[in-house]
Amino acid sequence: MIRSVFHRLLTAVSGRPAAALAALVLCGAAQGCGRQEAQFTHRAGFENLMPEAQSYVHEALEQHFGTPTQVVAWEQLPIKLHAAAGAVGAAPDARSIAVNYSQQNLPIEPGLQTAWLSGPLLQSQGDPAWVEAVDVAGRIMFEQPLASVPAEGDRVAIGPGEVLRYGRVLYAEHCQHCHGVSGDAQGPTASYLNPRPRDFRRGIFKFTTTTASNRASRADLARVIENGVPGTYMPSFKLLSDAESMAIIEYVLFLSMRGEVEYQLVTQLGNDYSNQAVKDRIDGGETRKGILDEFTGMVNGGDMQEQFNETVESIVTRWVEANEPEAIIVPGAKRPPATPESIARGRMLYLSQDLNCVACHGEAALGDGPQSYSITKNAAGEDNPTPGLYDEWGNLVKPRNLTQGIYRGGRRPIDLFARLHGGIKGTPMPAFGGKKTDEELWDLVNYILSVPFEVRHPGDGLKEARPVVEDVEQVATR
Amino acid sequence: MSSISSTATGSHGSSVHDHVQGHDLTHGHGHGHGHGQSFISKYVFSTDHKVIGIQFLCTTLLMLIVGGALALGVRWQLAWGMETMPFFGLLFKTEGGQISPDFYTMLFTMHATVMIFLVIIPVLAGAFGNFLIPLMIGADDMAFPVLNMLSYWFMWPAIGFFGLSFLSAGYGAAAGWTSYPLLSALAEAAPGSGWAQNWWLIGLTFVGVSSMMGSVNYMTTIINMRAPGMTLFRMPLTIWAMFITAILQAFALPVLTAAGFMLVADRLLGTCFFIPAGIIVNNADPTVGGGQPLLWQHLFWFYSHPAVYIMLLPAMGMVSDMLSCMARKPIFGYKPMVYSMAAIAGLGFIVWGHHMFTSGMNPALGMTFMVSTVMIALPSAVKVFNWIGTLWGGRLEFNTVLLNSVAFVSMFIIGGLSGIFMAAVPVDIYIHDTYFIVAHFHYVLFGATLFGVFGAIQFWYPKMFGRMMSERIGKLHFLLTFIGFNGTFFPMHLLGVAGMPRRYANPYMYPYLNHLLDMNQFMTVCAILMGLAQFLLLGNFLFSLKFGTPCGRNPWNANGLEWAAPSPPGHGNFDVPPICYRGPYEYSSPGAPEGEDHWMQTDPRGKGWKPPAEH
Amino acid sequence: MKKFWIALFMLVPILALWSCYVAPERGWWFPGTTGPYGGEAASPMGRRIDDLFYMILAITTVTFIGTQLALGYVLWTGARRGDAGSGEKAWFSHGSHNLEVIWSIVPAGILLFIALYQMDVVAAIRFKSEFPEQVQNRPLAEVTARQFEWRIRYPGFDANGNLLPLMADPQPTDLYAVNDLRLPAAQPVMINLRTDDVQHAFFLPELRVKQDAVPGLTIPVWFEADRADEFTLLCAELCGWGHYKMRARFVALREPDFLQYLRDLQAQQDYDGVPDAADEE
Repeated sequence: MIRSVFHRLLTAVSGRPAAALAALVLCGAAQGCGRQEAQFTHRAGFENLMPEAQSYVHEALEQHFGTPTQVVAWEQLPIKLHAAAGAVGAAPDARSIAVNYSQQNLPIEPGLQTAWLSGPLLQSQGDPAWVEAVDVAGRIMFEQPLASVPAEGDRVAIGPGEVLRYGRVLYAEHCQHCHGVSGDAQGPTASYLNPRPRDFRRGIFKFTTTTASNRASRADLARVIENGVPGTYMPSFKLLSDAESMAIIEYVLFLSMRGEVEYQLVTQLGNDYSNQAVKDRIDGGETRKGILDEFTGMVNGGDMQEQFNETVESIVTRWVEANEPEAIIVPGAKRPPATPESIARGRMLYLSQDLNCVACHGEAALGDGPQSYSITKNAAGEDNPTPGLYDEWGNLVKPRNLTQGIYRGGRRPIDLFARLHGGIKGTPMPAFGGKKTDEELWDLVNYILSVPFEVRHPGDGLKEARPVVEDVEQVATR
Repeated sequence: MSSISSTATGSHGSSVHDHVQGHDLTHGHGHGHGHGQSFISKYVFSTDHKVIGIQFLCTTLLMLIVGGALALGVRWQLAWGMETMPFFGLLFKTEGGQISPDFYTMLFTMHATVMIFLVIIPVLAGAFGNFLIPLMIGADDMAFPVLNMLSYWFMWPAIGFFGLSFLSAGYGAAAGWTSYPLLSALAEAAPGSGWAQNWWLIGLTFVGVSSMMGSVNYMTTIINMRAPGMTLFRMPLTIWAMFITAILQAFALPVLTAAGFMLVADRLLGTCFFIPAGIIVNNADPTVGGGQPLLWQHLFWFYSHPAVYIMLLPAMGMVSDMLSCMARKPIFGYKPMVYSMAAIAGLGFIVWGHHMFTSGMNPALGMTFMVSTVMIALPSAVKVFNWIGTLWGGRLEFNTVLLNSVAFVSMFIIGGLSGIFMAAVPVDIYIHDTYFIVAHFHYVLFGATLFGVFGAIQFWYPKMFGRMMSERIGKLHFLLTFIGFNGTFFPMHLLGVAGMPRRYANPYMYPYLNHLLDMNQFMTVCAILMGLAQFLLLGNFLFSLKFGTPCGRNPWNANGLEWAAPSPPGHGNFDVPPICYRGPYEYSSPGAPEGEDHWMQTDPRGKGWKPPAEH
Repeated sequence: MKKFWIALFMLVPILALWSCYVAPERGWWFPGTTGPYGGEAASPMGRRIDDLFYMILAITTVTFIGTQLALGYVLWTGARRGDAGSGEKAWFSHGSHNLEVIWSIVPAGILLFIALYQMDVVAAIRFKSEFPEQVQNRPLAEVTARQFEWRIRYPGFDANGNLLPLMADPQPTDLYAVNDLRLPAAQPVMINLRTDDVQHAFFLPELRVKQDAVPGLTIPVWFEADRADEFTLLCAELCGWGHYKMRARFVALREPDFLQYLRDLQAQQDYDGVPDAADEE
């Protein structure tokens, strides 16, 4: 039996090599089928919700943010979503329109879709209008005539969601393997990195030039992408074009906001609708059905929608504020020259009880202060597993060794000033802005910048705390 | 020769008895008989060199599939890098099957590891060395049968440890098959540099031990156990190649083993052979000690360059035998062939530095290595000319064996000539670590060696199993492999000249490489074709076991001693103790018996018989 | 069928030669922007390297065509002899001593020529004593490779605005950049190459420059860009999972532009965030 099959196979193959070849190529092509889709994963805590609450959170997120391959361009978010957007300008007709742009993020290229955000075309169900070309006058020409002529002033988006789509492609290429599909810092290469990559889902970024209470500005994110974070595995992506960098930043903001919404929802629902809470409530005399009815009522027409909108609103406000000029740290005085006096004053500040830098960074600024060896508590009030300091994401962080001359947030004086003024967000590094004057902070900056070049001798210890300048004067007067 | 006469009576007790038993085997009942051997001692822990050779062959064919799958993963990434990768992509479900860059480094590292240490070296020395050496020199078995068995069974721990490497964090060692420190020395340096690297190094040691056992055995067997009349210059070139390879292994391997232990010690015991002081990787504590990473490169290449010839010489020998038989013509320049193999082996020991032309090496030393490296092309060239000379005026039989052997020569010409570019230091500075290098060594290791092996499987399969492999499938396999191979690897030369570095998970983020994507996709399609074609070989191999045409002792009308034994030979190999009367390449000889174009080494007949002159 | 196989074998050299012939115009050849097909090296040393490449290419092409034609010829005649009914026996020969001598000596001469011909180029690239006078012990920048970027350190200016020499250790006046190496064009320049962690390689494809950065060593590398232009800088030695991420550029500038660049870098590096500094200018 098998033998005859084999012989038939032999004759078939040798008789029709072309057919056999085609079959082989088909087999090869079949390998490419069954393409998987990237997926957003849910944060820790999601699993603890009762199944109905889980599906609510899942659907709410999917409705407003979509999936990685089908990103939803939600107008509510303060993100550059579209290739360009604006209002229809003078003399629109069915084949072309002029646009008064309110934002232009990417070049308008043939083949982009057009989406109407207001006016008669908003509701029309016809084919989307594809951009054919942009004429010399800057008018957008369409491939097919529009179903109706838009009115002047109708809002229009060209390439709707194009920035996010582009950002997502670039993110998948350059960032995803560390920062994760969901921005959760759980990408395949993340687990062995020290320090761990940033988890965007709390909306917190460490190195910013905004004041302590603010989120990161776009310029801060751009600087990190351009220069990397020295001393970590975040490399410099200096050679990305401006458009590429912009698209990545917008996508990172998108992931941050998505993560924050998820975080808020999971936290809010966790109070009453986690598996544990439900169990407690049932133990307390409620019925499962009652709880379910309550939840369904809240979601369907209850105050859940309102709560959701408020959550989103507060998140959006913070991101908008971060890019306002008021959020940016501007020193009240120019940096004084790094004279021995200034450095000595900075050293005194460094050692002062008030700022207590030594508690973490150590007297010799080696990053070995007593705090880095102490048992600390986590957010839940429990002892952390290993001694040392922890950040918001529960990762062990080491205070910077200032003698190495490596400054993760940048080495410009303003970068160090901003670090002192606004702190390092999400970490135990506190903000001194307002606590100390800008002049004092500059002295501290001058001291910190001088640390790598200090001449050290064996036995030098606390006596360095004396301002060096006095020695100099004594020598001079002698 | 006194050693020969002692061999004829058998160096171990059972051989005489086995010769008698051997008669049964011509009836095609399979391997060895009697002695109340259990299945396990006959087929699993067998000390019979033929069983061990076949075990090696089957293992390496299995590993060929593993290595090929890893290679296809690499190719897929280079063609459709940001999309779902079939099979391997299942490990990256949330990423939509898009593999991570560290996984890519693992893919090419383990591809090279599997192909070099588990396929090419064992298929040549292990499978064909084992099977052919005693048969071709007329011995009843290896000199040390138990050692021989152990050399096979030391492969399995190696496979097991490499497998453990796959199961460790990072899915496998990922520092390249060259495993340059510090990437391989510091666990913090990469996901694959943790335990995966330790398992890899331990696996490597087992491969080394296995090869070493084989090497000692081959040398002893070839020196001491040749049949009466089998003088050194009557040995087939296959045996010469195996002999020289064994010597190479014996001298080079200890260096690698030592280096491997030093690296393991650096990793686990805190020694600093290769680790300089003050290096901070991944914010771990700074390293201490004053080691030198270049030391590894010297030690590694001191083995691995000769290893390139270990991966080539046996195939050269086998191809010589096959070409001569299929051309029905004596080998052209037998002694120059032997001498050039010896020259390759000798020079092979003083060219390792050419892998380090771009490292920090005393430039004067670099020049010395350049001269020796350029000169190693000479014996290779002599061999090519002699192979062409062998075909010249032959009466060619265009069967699978000949096709694969000619492909060997043709591909070796390309691989050899491209080697001259990288022997020249200034040119190498540019093409070092580009795809030009990848093209070069695939032309040598796949284009030459594997085509040689495909031919050899076809050629000696009848001797192994008593049946012929299908010619039709064999030819189809050859055709697809040949097309797929050239389509995959020739464009790599151009990629290399265009400056595309190897080991890049995503070369297309560099604008000057962007336009090479199309070519890479073409290459990947060819690679898939080639990969699928190997199933033809596998199918042919398996089906012919049962359904191949049964054959007699000498289906190819070849001259070697092995063809005088039954097919398959029984335990003890020869039913009639062979006596060697002449060299192995007396095809179409005017002195041969009437009506025959071959004149077997064991054949005492012949017109005006006289002792063959040593040529 | 025999003809088919011979044709198949002969297709290899034909396609190989064809692909190399059309390669330059299709961009499958050396990277670069000048020269007839845009593949000319952008440095004098690079052109010498290319010349050597072309010399070897010429020699190997002749050998390649010769051997492949010989192979085709022997296959063709061998196939005819092997045809059923030809009745011809193979030519019984064990070889020819004269031929062996010829095809040993001639390649040996050619190979020796290839090896010796390269010597002075190797010396010029690698021997410190052969480095151009201007760069002897005068590194303009320290390039430090790390996983996975290039950190660059330039000497800064003294109080009078004169460029300081580059010191082995970092100085307070030093200027820093990342993934962006800028040096003067049209003159030999030297950098000190280091690595912070594992082994990397400094590769400028358009200039044909490549040097490994070995942990624990500081290696001087010199090169010369013909013209003010931007070139690719990348890593050519496996350095971990992000090996491919080390994308950087080398920008060759006219000498005054280079100094201006350093001054701009200084201004950027001293920026203290107080906007009136910009207003004063």
